[in-house]
Amino acid sequence: MEAIEHPPIFRLPGIPDHVTYTWLVMVILAALTFAASRNLQLVPRGLQNFLEVVLEQFQQMIDDVMGPEGRRYLPLIATLGLFILTGNLMSLVPGLAGPTSNLNTNGACALIVFLAYHWIGARKQGVLAYLKHFAGPVPLPLKPLMFVIEVISHLARPLSLTLRLFGNMVGGHILLAVIFLLMGLDGLIGWALSGSVAGAVVGGIGGIVTIVFTVGFLYPLKILVAFLQAFIFVMLTMLYISGAIEEAEHHSEHH
Amino acid sequence: MRRSLILVGVAVLAVPSAALAADGGTGGWIAPFAVIAAGIGMAIAAGLCGLGQGRAVASAVDAMARQPGAAARIQTAMIIGLALIESLAIYTLVIALILLFVKGINFA
Repeated sequence: MEAIEHPPIFRLPGIPDHVTYTWLVMVILAALTFAASRNLQLVPRGLQNFLEVVLEQFQQMIDDVMGPEGRRYLPLIATLGLFILTGNLMSLVPGLAGPTSNLNTNGACALIVFLAYHWIGARKQGVLAYLKHFAGPVPLPLKPLMFVIEVISHLARPLSLTLRLFGNMVGGHILLAVIFLLMGLDGLIGWALSGSVAGAVVGGIGGIVTIVFTVGFLYPLKILVAFLQAFIFVMLTMLYISGAIEEAEHHSEHH
Repeated sequence: MRRSLILVGVAVLAVPSAALAADGGTGGWIAPFAVIAAGIGMAIAAGLCGLGQGRAVASAVDAMARQPGAAARIQTAMIIGLALIESLAIYTLVIALILLFVKGINFA
């Protein structure tokens, strides 16, 4: 990937790029929230209004998916969502690196989700009762088999969360990098500027087509993917947490 | 038809090793095959993922047309389902990326 992707412009020596840009995302989010909440007003305007609308979207989603039980998990879910969305969008800015296009950042987010929903489920109904639900509603001889299968499927959840975000972001970046490579001074535009007639005709037309294609289609698509992947990460987090809670309610109905 | 396909396959598999022999054999024989495997694997994964997602979207659109009132909920469920189907293709993409870009894998 290093062969075709340009490194970010600003790098701290000795610190990996994704860590630097994770810090940048943190600074941006902290500065935004600080500036918005410094002078809270009953009738919000400007930045405070914007952030309230954003958080109300999260609250709406939580109410739809998890019901009123879910409101206490709004800080976790909204923080994850805003961090991933900002990271995804940051990786689209030329000259910056995206923290979410590195496996380690995504793995950290997915591990937080994994630990959080098990913690919530175990606290809601006690460790033993929570573990019992991994065996599922099957006859007793099948329970050990079911338990193993459930544990494996739960272990696969953080893996798939990590890889989905990583693959979507990096796949898009490689696509963009290849298109830019075809388009740039080593490619079509360079051919158009080289002075030959064939280069001016084919390279000029091809360069214009690729520029229009990239700006008009690929970049909007990548922005859509950035929002969609943040949405999916948050939505799956909510489903996992509500799954852990619902098991608790189910449990109390039976006993 | 089948015979020519087999011939093409043999030719495709033979080209990198011939190129490698001319190259002097640096880096082992695994690298050219890794590139081919990444391409073929990603093609199969993308095609089948497209089939699966097409079925899912078709049913979802059908359901939305029958019950426009429930469109928002169906859409949410569809997007989650699409993400879960897509992640299977993403696994293949990650394997392809590992094959293409991770240096120092020594399979042999």
